[in-house]
Parts: sequence; structure tokens; C-alpha cells
Amino acid sequence: MLKIIMVFLSLLIALPVYAVDGKALLEQVDRNLSPESYESYRKLINIEPDGRKKEFTLFTVKKGVDKVASLFLAPASENGRSTLRLGDNMWLYIPNIGKPIRITSLQSVVGGVFNNADILQLDYTAEYDVEKVEEKESEYLLYLKAKTKTVAYDKIKLWADKDKKLPTKIECLTEANMLIKTLYFKDVKDFGGGIVRPAVIETDSPLYKGYKSVIILAKVKKKTFKDEVFTLTFMPNMESLR
Amino acid sequence: MKRLWVIFLFFAFWMVPALAGAEESYSFDLAETDKKPYHFGGYVEFKPILFGLDRDSAFYKIRFYDDPQGQTLSEINGRMQLEGSYEKDIFRIYAKTNTDLKSSYSGESERTTFYELYGSVKPSSNLKFDVGKKTLRWGKGYAWNPVAFVDRPKDPDDPELAMEGYIIATADYIKSMDGPLKTFSFTPVLFPVYDHVNDSFGNKNKLNIAGRFYFLLYDTDIDLLFMTGESRSDRYGADFSRNITTNFEIHGEFAYIRNFRENTLDANGNMTSREADARSYLIGVRHLTTFDLTTIVEYYHNGTGFSGDDMKNYYAFIERGYDTYQTTGNATILGKARQMAESGYGRSSAMADYLYVRFSQKEPFDILYFTPSFTWMMNTEDKSWSITPELLYTGITNLDLRLRTGFLFGDGNSEFGEKQNDYRVEFRAGYYF
Repeated sequence: MLKIIMVFLSLLIALPVYAVDGKALLEQVDRNLSPESYESYRKLINIEPDGRKKEFTLFTVKKGVDKVASLFLAPASENGRSTLRLGDNMWLYIPNIGKPIRITSLQSVVGGVFNNADILQLDYTAEYDVEKVEEKESEYLLYLKAKTKTVAYDKIKLWADKDKKLPTKIECLTEANMLIKTLYFKDVKDFGGGIVRPAVIETDSPLYKGYKSVIILAKVKKKTFKDEVFTLTFMPNMESLR
Repeated sequence: MKRLWVIFLFFAFWMVPALAGAEESYSFDLAETDKKPYHFGGYVEFKPILFGLDRDSAFYKIRFYDDPQGQTLSEINGRMQLEGSYEKDIFRIYAKTNTDLKSSYSGESERTTFYELYGSVKPSSNLKFDVGKKTLRWGKGYAWNPVAFVDRPKDPDDPELAMEGYIIATADYIKSMDGPLKTFSFTPVLFPVYDHVNDSFGNKNKLNIAGRFYFLLYDTDIDLLFMTGESRSDRYGADFSRNITTNFEIHGEFAYIRNFRENTLDANGNMTSREADARSYLIGVRHLTTFDLTTIVEYYHNGTGFSGDDMKNYYAFIERGYDTYQTTGNATILGKARQMAESGYGRSSAMADYLYVRFSQKEPFDILYFTPSFTWMMNTEDKSWSITPELLYTGITNLDLRLRTGFLFGDGNSEFGEKQNDYRVEFRAGYYF
């Protein structure tokens, strides 16, 4: 009897030691994907089923957990457009229209499979709680649940490499577990300054059969910005940050 | 052997793209990210239009009384916009020109002007000064902006068009904070009206002052705006925009204009002038469904607009002038009516109450970059209306292709019923470089 009690007690003590802290793991994934404040350049490519492509080049800045802004550099038809996200608020500035208009996370300013929430991605910990973590041979599988109804995807399944603590695949799901899109993280690269992360993100969606969108990252580097940069009034001036 | 080569070439031709697709790699030329101190770009547009004329309408009569046309009229428009900037340290200059070309029944015309031409100084990320010709585009409405005190009127038929600015001196001060008030900004504006400087705006030899206070408060964009001076009567306004849910936005504008003077025709065709405070407002929503259907609905009350009786008097004036011209050849009344059209009666949204509904479906049937739209605008006082179906394709890099038609409906003496056209069909090809 004493032996059974001893085994039971030792299990009780041992379990917390080996259980994965989902929140801490997700925070680690966030930090490995990018510093809390940084600038980067991104090429976004929409690929149609017949192989035709449309490319966009963006300059992106982020500060803290809920401030991110992007400026379109190419193609010429998009040059000067900028997008801003402050928490749940998103705006699009088009030089011709001359003023920022509110947009939603489900819209896509570039067309294709990536929507605005993907392009203006915040930290996962800012928008999602970890419901559970499954430990596989070389990966963790994190089940994430949106903190509020305003988040673009209600549920996320995130596969993370065990050693690098970097995502390899993400499935975005509705509340009813319907798959909206899958993101594939590829080509882990050293950007310098301690930033080692996937340089390519591919996505496809059962809602856009045959279509594919890709983001390629470049020049990711730590940088701090004043809060005033992440305001509507500053949106027409984003070029001055480069 | 020859047969083998044919088989090899056949497979090479068909398989290489397939293999390339299977092992696709992506490249990012970093030269694209290099910043140059200068920028140059532009836009060219080709836009043929076919108008279906309403030969009984009032506006047809004042335009074509001495040169009657057939059932239709065609017109070819061209537009070229060039823009450039140069940046050094905290200084930047920016210029944007616009050239409109038109070939129509009355001949060819060309107009070139600077839409914007200004210099900026930006000593810090929260302070900026601009001097020169610039557009400010105040307001939150899509089709109308009653609080856009320092802008030219927007065309609700094409609200996203670039507009010509005014010569101003302005600044932006921005302050970010934690808490419910996340952002505050202030934009003061000096607006001179002198000979050759904004002289079409209002009374000359006056220096007007305008300003905008912006707040991002409890996730709501709020602006308080004003303009005072003697070129136009003093005016004050407020606007807001807020997302109720991620896919449902609500916005509104209110403008109060003191001592607004309006010149109208009475029933006898005599010009009278009245002065009263005016209130204009707009309330609107923008909604996006899960299948990417965007709906914009706006109601606009134009406190400075003409009443139904004012417009009936004006149409009666034109009819009288047309009858006089037919019987005597005297076009004096029609000439006066044409002047009045240019000074107010003929402007877009000249009356008081309008409803605007626009549906646009992004990428239906998985056709990427294809957006069909349908716009319905109604004058709620005289119940006349227009519908504008539109097809937009942006799948070719830097090229926009738009096919659009417009149909106007309304009884006699109604706004859309008395417009020059019954319908129009236009195609627009625009290329950015």
C-alpha cells in the first residue's frame, strides 16, 4: 500500500515538471518569429492555378504586441498605400483617396489567399490562448483559441519544431473546425542580430482551390519606433521610416 | 533516333514547367528594397464613353439648344498623371500633375494643372509642416463629405478619383498615449484666398483658418473640424468611424454652417438671396460578409442643397428660356440658366436628401482580382435615382480595366429625370508606372 502511495505521490510531483507550459511555448514561438519591435521587407506573391503571378513588395514595422504598419513599395499601382493595425483596429490609406479608411481583418488588400490579418500579423499570444499542447516526436502541436470574437480565425492548430521552437505549419479554422487555410513555414534563415526564422511562408486554402500565396521575408532587423508612427495621421508618411 | 528526340522534346516541353512547379523556389531581389532619395511615377488612362441622351430633359436643353444631337453622343477621354518627389534629411518636395484630354462633339480640349505641389519639413515623427498645393480629404463618408471644408467637392459617381488640392500651409502634430485615448493629433491650416491663389474658393483677399482635431478614443476615430475666415461663412463639424464588429463599420459626419447664403430662383424666375444657418449630415455603414460582399449604405442630408420647389422653379426657367429661343431665337434666358447650372444648380448632389447603396463582390467564382459592383443612388425627395453596374479587373500588374454603365430614372422636374443623359456606357483602361 505504502508503495502505491509513494508511486502516486511521485507521479503528482513529476507531472508538472514534464508538462509543457503552452503559454510560455507560444511566447517563445512569437519571439523566435520576430523581435517585439522590428522592421522588415516582404515580397508577397499570389499564384493562380495557371501559374500566373502577381507580386507585391511591402515594408513593415511592428512595435509591441499590438502595433503593426506596412507600406506598399511595388507594384506601381499600389505604391504609397499603407496599412495600419492597432489591436483590433485596421486602416488602409490609399494616396488617391487621401485618407485612411477602416478595413476588416477578413478582407484582403492584396487579393489572393492572404487576408489583412495575415499581412498585419500580431503576436499569436496577443490574440490566442493555448487550449492544449500535444507533444510529438519532433514537434509540438498547439491548439489555440481566439481570445475574442474579433480575431480573424476562431481556432488555430500550430505545429512547432521542438528544437527551434519555430512554427512549421499552421491550420486556421472556424469555430466549427472548418479549415480556412494552411500556412507552411519554410527555409529557416539567419537574418543576423540573433533572428533565425523561416524566410518563406506559403499558404493555400480549400476556399481558393488551386491558388497559392507566398510571403518571402528579407532584412528582418530589430528596431524601435515611436508610438506616433502607428497613427492614422502618420500613415501618409511611412516612407520616411525607411 | 529521331523518334526518340521527338519524344524527349515532347516530354521536356511538357514536364519542365511541371517539375519547376513541383520544386518551386521563390526569389526576392533586395534591390527592390533600396531607398532612393527621389521617386517618379505616373498613371495614364484611356476612357471612351457613350452617352444616351434624354432630349426632353432640362440639362440637354441648356447645353444643346443651338446644336441638337441624335440619340447618342460619344466622347473619348484621356488622362495622364505624373508624380515625383525628392527627399533629403527632414525635407521633401512632392508634385503631382494632371492632364485631361477630351475629344467630343464640340472638338478637342486639354487641361493641365498641378493637383499637388508642396514642400514638407518633418523635424520628428510627431511633427510635420507642409506648404503648397495639397489635398486634405477630411471626413469619413464614402460618397460625400460634408465636413471636407478645405477640399473641392467629391464626385459621388466616382468617389475614389484623385482630386485637385488648394494652396495651403498646414502642420500635423501627433501624440500617442496609453489608455482609452490612444491617439491625438492636430492639423491647423492657413488657407489664403487672393488673386491667382485659391480664387475660386470664395471672397478674395482673405486669410482663412481651418483645423482638425483627431482622437482615437475607445477604438473610435473622432474628428472635430472648423473653418473660419471671410471667404466663406464659418463652419464647424465632427465626424466619427468605428468598427462595431470586425466586419461591420459605422461612420458619420455633421457640419454646421453659419449664415449660409444661397441664391435661388422664385416661381417668377427672379433671383432671390436667402441667408440662414445650415446643417448637413451623413450617416453610413460598411459591411463585409464571409463571402467578400462589401455593402456600403449612406444617407446624406445636404443642408446647403436646393429644395424640390427651388429645382422646379429652375427647370421651369429653362423651359421658358427654351420656348423663347424656339420662337424668337433669343438665348438670353438659357445663357443665364447655364451660368446658374455652373454656379450650383448643375452640380452633383445639388439637392437636400440622398441615399447611396453600393454592393461590391470581390473575386466571385474564385476569379482572382475581379470585382463586380452595383451602385444605387436615390434622391429621396423627388424619388429619382440612378443605378451603376460595374466590372473591375486588376489581374494584370499595374493595369486596371473597368467597364461601367449608368442608368438614370426619374419623372419630369426630378433631379435624375432632368439630367442630360438617360444612360451611359464607359470603358476605362488605366496603367500605372
